[in-house]
Amino acid sequence: MVETFQRENNLAASDLDFHQLVDVEAGWIDRRIFWNTDIYQLELERIFARCWCFVGHESQFIEPGDFLTTYIGQDAVIVAKDRKGEVNVFLNSCTHRGNRVCFAETGTARQFTCNFHGWAFGLDGGLVSIHEEEHYSGCANFDKSKLGLHRARTESYKGLIFATFDPKAPSLNEYLGDYRYYLDVLLDNDPGGTEFLEGNVKSRLRSNWKFAAENFVGDAYHAGWTHASAAAAIFGRGVKVNPEKSFQASVNGHGTEFGLDLIGNAMALGEPEVVDYLKENEARFAERLGKLRAKMVGSMSSANVFPNLAYLPGLNTWRTWLPKGAHEIELNTWVLVNRDAPKSLKEAYRRGISRTFSPTGMFESDDGENWEHCTHSNAGVVTRRQKLHYGLGLDSAIDHEEFPGKIHRVQLNDANQRAFYKRWADLMSASDWSSLDNN
Amino acid sequence: MVTAPANPKNNAPRQASLEVFHLIQQFLYREARLLDEQRYDDWFQLMDEEFTYWVPVPQARYRRDKKGTYERDRMAHFDDSLAELKLRASRWKQRTAWSEDPPTRNIHYISNIEVEPSEGENDWLVRSVAISLRNRNEDEEDWLGGRRIDLIRQTPEGLRLVRREVFIAQTVFLSKNFNTFI
Ligand SMILES: [Fe+2]
Repeated sequence: MVETFQRENNLAASDLDFHQLVDVEAGWIDRRIFWNTDIYQLELERIFARCWCFVGHESQFIEPGDFLTTYIGQDAVIVAKDRKGEVNVFLNSCTHRGNRVCFAETGTARQFTCNFHGWAFGLDGGLVSIHEEEHYSGCANFDKSKLGLHRARTESYKGLIFATFDPKAPSLNEYLGDYRYYLDVLLDNDPGGTEFLEGNVKSRLRSNWKFAAENFVGDAYHAGWTHASAAAAIFGRGVKVNPEKSFQASVNGHGTEFGLDLIGNAMALGEPEVVDYLKENEARFAERLGKLRAKMVGSMSSANVFPNLAYLPGLNTWRTWLPKGAHEIELNTWVLVNRDAPKSLKEAYRRGISRTFSPTGMFESDDGENWEHCTHSNAGVVTRRQKLHYGLGLDSAIDHEEFPGKIHRVQLNDANQRAFYKRWADLMSASDWSSLDNN
Repeated sequence: MVTAPANPKNNAPRQASLEVFHLIQQFLYREARLLDEQRYDDWFQLMDEEFTYWVPVPQARYRRDKKGTYERDRMAHFDDSLAELKLRASRWKQRTAWSEDPPTRNIHYISNIEVEPSEGENDWLVRSVAISLRNRNEDEEDWLGGRRIDLIRQTPEGLRLVRREVFIAQTVFLSKNFNTFI
């Protein structure tokens, strides 16, 4: 790899006091963080080019050559399995003139050849060959070994593959920290592990990425109102949250809000086989997760791994909010299932999730409406001077004997959202990882 | 799937008469208008009990790839029975479907109709192009185009849709949602 330029340090927003913009102590958030393009550019720099971002599931890479294309922030990347069995992540942009080198969204390839001048890159991103290489015979600074595609660090956690462009980022295990306890609810409830179903659904929303992320990290409150019509259609009644036995947990900006009802989310799929599967396997889940955690496998809950990977236990939709500017995201969704689950159960998830959490789904339709208008109202200069209230549950912190992380009682709470924005402000203020407290 | 079976009586391939073509064309136009008018119960009346509706999510893959743009077992926008479609539509009718009030203005545009014989004596394989235009709120506008392959049956009660497959062109669905059928 040729040396890359230093990160930009002249971005206009870098002098802002982000801890003032998101006042998590008092529970107020300045709306400019959802609108200003300067802040957005700094987010690309200090959040997306710095954090571990989700890029795929190991089950998507069976044979050498299997690849997919996605984004880390707005950086287009190729994720590909090489002949040694390693999964590599590197920029999807030729080192010669910068053209995109892969236009397919997934498939199997031996190499990625640029359409412009025929520069061909291997499954690890290295430059393999170029068209009519003889022209470069007298070119002193042409060194193929230094002209590979810029690689990201890649690590995986129980099937999920993450990548970061920051050489100074902590290990993925450190980055996830105790949040792994909550990830294991879905990733490790069955000895066979997990897989993604074939295919995924991508859609565009005119929303700032943070409205989507904060919704999944901790907005149980919206479910009863936003999704009233979907709940009425599916259950014939509204969504009710149990205030006694429900919690919010957060670690390093990652967070989940959850009940302990085993099947609350799964019921929404409208697929009885899924609910039966959860009930029949509760004792088996408990062997791996313990009794308490086993109750979270399909419970009424949602989660977001900082910055932009989200999922819903029970419904098993996994998704990324890929930023496409300050006011737009591309939502990518997949369905996660236990690899050893019966085929009919996987099929139930596939059809159920299409009816609920997809652009044609009964729940997701309403979410997009809200996030888009929460974003675009801020075009008004007076409007965006008005701070937003994030004060629900300011006094609800508790210690819990089993649950790790910062715990708040009652899942109807803004606590996880405040923790998400606290992490956001920490990252936006820090010049590099060494000045960040990773707890 | 598209080759015309011979008519056993005179060995000539069965062909749609102008009258049949006209009936089918009017059927598709009426069906599209029912969607525009959000008269879902009336729309469902046009379906056979066994109706299936499949709208796959296309994938941009290289031509040499063994897997195609559209595949059966992948995630789909719709892969529904009649009962499942009715469940989706029942949400739009709820008083609490906040985002449906004021309602979306829909226009379904139908063209490129081709009618070919299908295997069943009373069945027709009908191809068409459908474009859905939706306008919402002040300035929201969403377009979606797809090629459709329908199986339409002539019954004593009139024409009935038995199967519909819609091959849309967007790999990334360029809207936040899709709150109609196509
Ligand atoms: Fe929601």
